[in-house]
Amino acid sequence: MNEIAKTDTPKAEPAATPLVTLKGLEKHFDVTSGLLGRHKQVLKAVDGIDLEIRRGETLGLVGESGCGKSTLARALIRLYRPTGGRIEFDGTDIAGLDRQALIPYRRRMQMIFQDPYASLNGRMSVRDLIAEPLEINRIGTEKSRTERVHDLLTRVGLNQSHATRFPHEFSGGQRQRIGIARALALEPELVICDEPISALDVSIQAQVVNMLEDLQEEFKLTYLFITHDLSMVRHISDRIGVMYLGKLVELADRDALYEGPKHPYTQALLKSIPVPDPKRKGADEGMRGEIPSPMDIPSGCRFRTRCPLATDKCAAEEPPLKEMGGGHLAACHYAE
Amino acid sequence: MTITAAHTSEPILSVKNLSTSFFSDRGEVKAVRGVSFDVYPGEILGIVGESGSGKSITCMSVLRLLKANGRVLDGSAVFEGKDLTTLPSRQMRALRGNDISMIFQDPMTSLNPTLTVGEQIIETIRAHRQVSRADAAKRAIELFDLVKIPSPSKRLKSYPHEFSGGMRQRVMIAMALSCDPKLLVADEPTTALDVTIQRQVLQLLKELQSRLGMAVILITHDLGVIAEVTDRILVMYGGMVMETGRVADLFESPRHPYTQGLLKSIPDLSSGEHQRLSPIPGSPPDMLHPPAGCPFAPRCTHAMGICTEAVPQLYCAGDTPVLRAGQAARCWLHHADAPEVPEVNAREHEGAA
Ligand SMILES: Nc1ncnc2c1ncn2[C@@H]1O[C@H](COP(=O)(O)OP(=O)(O)OP(=O)(O)O)[C@@H](O)[C@H]1O
Ligand SMILES: Nc1ncnc2c1ncn2[C@@H]1O[C@H](COP(=O)(O)OP(=O)(O)OP(=O)(O)O)[C@@H](O)[C@H]1O
Ligand code: SF4
Ligand SMILES: [Mg+2]
Ligand SMILES: [Mg+2]
Repeated sequence: MNEIAKTDTPKAEPAATPLVTLKGLEKHFDVTSGLLGRHKQVLKAVDGIDLEIRRGETLGLVGESGCGKSTLARALIRLYRPTGGRIEFDGTDIAGLDRQALIPYRRRMQMIFQDPYASLNGRMSVRDLIAEPLEINRIGTEKSRTERVHDLLTRVGLNQSHATRFPHEFSGGQRQRIGIARALALEPELVICDEPISALDVSIQAQVVNMLEDLQEEFKLTYLFITHDLSMVRHISDRIGVMYLGKLVELADRDALYEGPKHPYTQALLKSIPVPDPKRKGADEGMRGEIPSPMDIPSGCRFRTRCPLATDKCAAEEPPLKEMGGGHLAACHYAE
Repeated sequence: MTITAAHTSEPILSVKNLSTSFFSDRGEVKAVRGVSFDVYPGEILGIVGESGSGKSITCMSVLRLLKANGRVLDGSAVFEGKDLTTLPSRQMRALRGNDISMIFQDPMTSLNPTLTVGEQIIETIRAHRQVSRADAAKRAIELFDLVKIPSPSKRLKSYPHEFSGGMRQRVMIAMALSCDPKLLVADEPTTALDVTIQRQVLQLLKELQSRLGMAVILITHDLGVIAEVTDRILVMYGGMVMETGRVADLFESPRHPYTQGLLKSIPDLSSGEHQRLSPIPGSPPDMLHPPAGCPFAPRCTHAMGICTEAVPQLYCAGDTPVLRAGQAARCWLHHADAPEVPEVNAREHEGAA
């Protein structure tokens, strides 16, 4: 029985329409600072993102801590209400939809979280954890839900006997599998993986990544894969977007990005990756300085304070994300 | 162990047969089971291994920083002629933060949020040195300068939360260096940092280590970090050292199935083709009930009958020709009567990897 494969198949769209199209997506937070909370400031976590996620692809999203990756993901699946821009999911703008109108879309987008320890309710059995989204959406009977849980467990490399146990009885890698089974319960089309492996051991990371690849093929999933791990993102992604201070600064096919990064930020980021090869010890210094505050974004190009190429033009004008050929986009006045 | 081959000097720290357990209602957690290693002046020794394999507890045992339910059951840790496991606690406290210093993973929880970083570093200095406040402040500024914190005298007045993660980690390093330690223990010092900041911190550690000649024990799960900054490594699994040797040798010619599995689990960036990753199947042992034999046996594709019955010894370069000088591996396949498994114990395989 292959209940999961009977997904409400995406309508026969021409392959060219992306599953998700973001247009100028913005998420600004109002924050108060100062001892008495007197200063109201705007924190521009996501500050105008144009991005397409194609059906069936894995789009990698990288960038330093605080650059807005998780906020982008949360706005995209409408855990947050965006402060600006459009989110076209399968052709419909969901950016402004209310709770009720969102229900049919929620099922189609799921998220796998970073911390397999914190993201599962420790008082629920594995069976209940995985069946919960089905119950909330009133799908199936008690019995059919249990069958579904058993099926999902085997698909993520666990087995039926695990259903009656509790999260604390599992290792990190196993808990992440439970989280993945839960995310798949509603047969989503888009799965957002927000640092799904960074809390796991190297030897276990590879197990989870292989499994994600298998599930993608089996269920025709589309992934947005967020990570710090620049080696793993190359391994798993078809295309990769690079974020800096709330903006996309480069987007390209995986190999084009690693072999010919065009933005000075991407270049520095890639040079910073520690290479697991002792013969290549002592590579060069990587990047200067630290990421500026998203409450005080530099004028013009937001990377200019750390950029070795920066000129007066960079302080005055914000470079647009422009097409450099072959779908390779970069936002730098001097990219070529 | 015959790791001395590559070294002319005496080790600054010599750990022998260290065993540490935790006692709880659930029973005895055998966290560290007979770990031995040496650290030489001016070198960076890396410790890698699965989560829960005993990396932190090995170091915590040496530093005598175990939680109340933890006990060192056996072994010694000799630092400059003194066995730290039996040193009176007063002397141990005097040594810690002075000749031996440490940096932990999370710089936010290690700093006191209610004091300025300046006060904290000055306090640390004065706890170990008979110096005036003014001299301690001067030293603090020097240290901030050393770890490249811009406008150091101004930044001393900041509170921890006013620093970014990378800056806080540099403050921790400055504090750890405040008394010119001979040995620095850094437990995952860059795990919470971005790659760009990680690179800056590692560069800094390496620079300081060569400039000040201190020895460093660096615990990390990042094989890239290991490859770039360490000289020798210990690979731990299930509370034991599974393999040790010079970093170049272990990456080029690993001779323990766990080390081999670990290296195969990471994506190979040099090949453009999309290759499937080869993970190690299964999951690490529960140290409440560690396997009777080789701790890696339940996950090892080469496991033989004896592997589940008895713990293999750590075979050295002298025991079998496939191990290089200073390399040692705890695997039954290095026993003289073991069957041939090319990638582990066959001589012809040398260099073919
Ligand atoms: N609910 C919130 N209220 C105010 N600020 C927020 C909120 N959530 C996130 N931020 C801020 O928005 C910025 C982007 O945060 P986000 O979590 O999206 O970063 P990230 O790229 O996912 O980083 P990391 O790699 O560390 O997970 C940060 O400066 C963060 O402090
Ligand atoms: N206070 C404690 N009480 C009981 N068991 C403990 C305690 N502290 C650690 N342990 C156990 O000791 C073993 C070794 O832990 P240790 O912290 O050294 O692992 P590690 O190799 O540093 O792992 P990680 O990579 O996750 O930091 C683990 O099985 C752990 O569960
Ligand atoms: S526009 Fe200038 S500052 Fe911005 S990235 Fe390009 S070169 Fe750097
Ligand atoms: Mg995040
Ligand atoms: Mg640890």
